[in-house]
Amino acid sequence: MVFDETFDVLVIGGGHAGCEAASASARLGATTALLTLNLDLIGQMSCNPAIGGIAKGHLVREIDALGGIMGRVIDRTGIQFRLLNRSRGPAVQSPRAQADRALYRLEMRNTLENTPNLSLRQGMVVDLLTPNNTVSGVVMQDGRRIGAKAVVIAAGTFLNGLIHTGRTTYTAGRAGEPASVELAETLKRLGLPVGRLKTGTPPRLDGRTINWEAFQRQRQQADERPVAFSFSTDKIEQPQIDCYIGYTTGQLHESIRKNLHESPLYSGQIKGVGPRYCPSIEDKVVKFADKDRHQLFLEPEGHDTNEVYLNGFSTSLPAGLQQELVRMVPGLENANIIRPGYAIEYDYIDPRELGPDLQVRRIAGLFHAGQVNGTTGYEEAACQGLLAGINAAFLSQGRPRFGLRREESYIGVLVDDLISQGVDEPYRIFTSRAEYRLAFRHDNADERLSKYGREIGLVGDREWERFNQRRDRIAKIKKALTGTRIRKSDPAYIALAEKTALNGVDSISLEDLAKRPGMTSVLISQLLPAEARLAGPVEDVEFALSDNLYSGYIKSQENAIQRLHAHDTLLIPSGLDFRAVSGLSHEMAERLERAQPVTFGAARRIPGLTPAALATLLVSVSVSA
Amino acid sequence: MDTIVALSTPPGRSAIGVVRLSGPASLQILRALVQQDLFAPEPNRVVLKSLLVDEGVLDQCLVTYFQAPHSFTGEDMVEISCHGSPVVLRQLIDLIQSHEARLAEPGEFTLRSCRNGKMNLSQAEAIRDLINAQTQAAAVQATRQLSGELAQALQPSKHELIRVIVTLESAIEFVEDDLPAVQLDDIKETIDRIIADVANLAETYRAGHLLRDGLRVAIVGRPNVGKSSLFNRLLMFERAIVTDVAGTTRDSLTESISLQGIPVSLTDTAGFREAGDKIEAIGIERTRRAMADADLLVLVIDGSCSLREEDQQILEAAREHPFVVAINKTDLPQVTAGKNLNGAQVVHVSALTDEGIPQLTAAILEPFSSLDSASVGLLITDSRHHDLLIRAKNSLAAASRSMDQGAGEEIVVADLHNALRFLGAITGETTSEQILGEIFSTFCIGK
Ligand SMILES: Nc1nc2c(ncn2[C@@H]2O[C@H](COP(=O)(O)OP(=O)(O)O)[C@@H](O)[C@H]2O)c(=O)[nH]1
Ligand SMILES: [Mg+2]
Repeated sequence: MVFDETFDVLVIGGGHAGCEAASASARLGATTALLTLNLDLIGQMSCNPAIGGIAKGHLVREIDALGGIMGRVIDRTGIQFRLLNRSRGPAVQSPRAQADRALYRLEMRNTLENTPNLSLRQGMVVDLLTPNNTVSGVVMQDGRRIGAKAVVIAAGTFLNGLIHTGRTTYTAGRAGEPASVELAETLKRLGLPVGRLKTGTPPRLDGRTINWEAFQRQRQQADERPVAFSFSTDKIEQPQIDCYIGYTTGQLHESIRKNLHESPLYSGQIKGVGPRYCPSIEDKVVKFADKDRHQLFLEPEGHDTNEVYLNGFSTSLPAGLQQELVRMVPGLENANIIRPGYAIEYDYIDPRELGPDLQVRRIAGLFHAGQVNGTTGYEEAACQGLLAGINAAFLSQGRPRFGLRREESYIGVLVDDLISQGVDEPYRIFTSRAEYRLAFRHDNADERLSKYGREIGLVGDREWERFNQRRDRIAKIKKALTGTRIRKSDPAYIALAEKTALNGVDSISLEDLAKRPGMTSVLISQLLPAEARLAGPVEDVEFALSDNLYSGYIKSQENAIQRLHAHDTLLIPSGLDFRAVSGLSHEMAERLERAQPVTFGAARRIPGLTPAALATLLVSVSVSA
Repeated sequence: MDTIVALSTPPGRSAIGVVRLSGPASLQILRALVQQDLFAPEPNRVVLKSLLVDEGVLDQCLVTYFQAPHSFTGEDMVEISCHGSPVVLRQLIDLIQSHEARLAEPGEFTLRSCRNGKMNLSQAEAIRDLINAQTQAAAVQATRQLSGELAQALQPSKHELIRVIVTLESAIEFVEDDLPAVQLDDIKETIDRIIADVANLAETYRAGHLLRDGLRVAIVGRPNVGKSSLFNRLLMFERAIVTDVAGTTRDSLTESISLQGIPVSLTDTAGFREAGDKIEAIGIERTRRAMADADLLVLVIDGSCSLREEDQQILEAAREHPFVVAINKTDLPQVTAGKNLNGAQVVHVSALTDEGIPQLTAAILEPFSSLDSASVGLLITDSRHHDLLIRAKNSLAAASRSMDQGAGEEIVVADLHNALRFLGAITGETTSEQILGEIFSTFCIGK
């Protein structure tokens, strides 16, 4: 085959998955091309202009620890940083930032343009070349043929994208952008199981037509230092803005209910399954009819625009009706919609086709990342892109593949869930999906993953040095926490005893003191010897105290899980005839057949499988293994 | 790999009981049991050791250490052969579990053996059939009937537990959503209620294991009161030698009988008195042991003579156990009326005429008749279920304590998830997907 150009790795799609994939692959030394429909929309946030949130923020920090780019880009372009769950325990705190949408895009493109080995190419991929079930390149709409050893598909919602507003439908990948129809058909032709999902987005408003006074200002607390996503960021430089909170009214709900026949969601026009945790306003007023108001967020899209994102008002009602409904919100009486909301249906490929390296098992060199795997969310997409990009580069270089375990990271949880359970609605990460939530803190992502990033070759010398220094500082603090005791004779004792009832103990270590109610990291920090306290930021002390706080619980959790899930990694031979397993009931065999679990752990998580069936399966599998 | 323990002889009474351990901690646990940190047994050699507990010697046992990979499972293993008393065995297994070992799942020893290549496929298949037969027997008995029923009985607790988890998880995951404030008092109350329910269910194991393992009844009393005679009446045939020479029954004698369909193992003991010679001394020692092992004592008193010092001593010794007093020889003129026995249950019998034997049978079966009338329809009979319930209860209690100490939701919920996992091993797993589904149908989540 004659190619116009040849690369080691091609990445199809310039969204959050594609950007990470291309960047990682190129930085690992593989010649890489990012193929995108529109170079100006690289790193576009199709939905709300924000990154992070509970569990999602953890993902971004894990991406950063592995050497990905999302964290750095949002740190440079975020205009409102918040640490969510600040009042809760450290394991469930997570950073979130509102981005300047345009700046984020530019910064991302700039980052990619300055990456050696990385080429950007605009155009639409219409065919994949896969002789002998091995990727050899792609064909572009304009006739160009580009060769490669590995291809990463990161096409987002573009595969057979179909937009709905009211009864109107049209093919598109995003509002105003063409869908990838041929590529979607190619994947079907390759025999990959294709499903249909749906997502939606709310209208964007003209900020000049909003009565801001009517909304509650969501201020960044003055004493809060913005928590960055990247371990290499020292300071958030962007000026920070405020968001605003408002509410819908019962009257508005009534109007929506009256117009449900106009909604493609309720008329049966939309077949794809939407995410339950991102319901449209139609869904909210129907499914939670007893709620008399729903919360809305007004999120400015950037410093240099009047565009405002009406978060919480995702809808696929007709555009004209959207305008009417928006004006029923107190404070939006005169608001103009500048882009209507819409619902979009798109194809995804069953992620159970993938291995832990995100390579399609039946086609060598083909990797899938992001929404094509049935996920939703920028962060979910980005971490898959990173993993796919690393493995595509490794494949082209003959290096062994890289994967993460669900016991060590949210990325591992996400990938394992996808490839073992598949999806039946857009998949979003939640902290409750992780068995080891207490061990996965956003601030220890580097502790958990930087070693891999370093081995892979994505963590540079500067970052590695930084990581090691922090680790040393924390080790010193931990030592000081166990070694420093507060005694009755110490001047601090009386005040402490008053604060947290020391019951007259003669002395107490700082480590134990920290576990007592009412103690804060700042208080403990003040009690540390100066050389430990002054070596780094107070976050170091927080880190040490968090480790201290959770260690016992993590241990007991490990014991419980070890005890119950000791056989999780046991492989179930492919093609095992569940019906032939003696002692398995017909119903249980059927459930197993439908789910096709690869490991015993995956079988364990099949809903409805009884403990007796699992025990039977275990014996049968262990014996034949 | 963790270390597992199981009783490898069938539960119930047998001359010896063999407890097996497999896994890396086996030797270390054995050292703890004999309380010798440096105990270094020669592999494959049987040695006699005393297993020690805080109160003293638990039992004299034969222990064998097998070093990996030269063992049945290919791992480090320890075999402990001890006196077959279920009480001792249960105590021993409990003790071992407190040392970082867990109860083996059905077939797990075989499984490890296969995994470590100690067995070829055809051998393994033969054993699998055996295991299948066993698990099927257990499955029919325990899993289908009992765990089905047990799972059902646990449903309300599990449901409430999930509801609590859902509330806490929602608060953690969806901070930006407009959710109702978490009512910590309600949650704490619910957790404590679940603890009580799970504990009640776990408590039925005491009665439940009687149903499965049967009731152990020992007949005790001073010499010549008619113990062996009563033993024979109950056995319906003459097995023990009956004489009128005191001390004739020098050894304990145990027979399994079925009293109204309930398995009872009946032990006739040597007379309880100062030993006259060495053999009798051993017999009396066995008697003490039989008393310790018994679920119920039948204390026999000769009604035709007055209460003696020895009778009083036995009454005293029996106090620690559930017991019934049988005043024997009602066919003779009665001197002891069964007063001054501190309210103990008294049955008047005659081994000679069978008078009162039905009443004695009824008294023995009393724990079971009270079971039937109890509102708890369900009894835990499987030690694994019991173990899981206890663990679930402990996790719940830890969560409740954490709440008292004002710990964060993520800590409380971690213990609740552990509890749910343990309950899930009985009722079937609850996946995180199911919890999320519950959250989304309960609360309006999402922007
Ligand atoms: N009259 C009468 N004699 C009995 C009765 N039970 C036992 N004996 C006699 O009491 C003596 C001692 O009986 P045995 O069963 O050996 O007593 P043990 O030493 O307690 O086992 C024997 O001579 C029996 O025949 C009874 O109910 N009535
Ligand atoms: Mg006798």
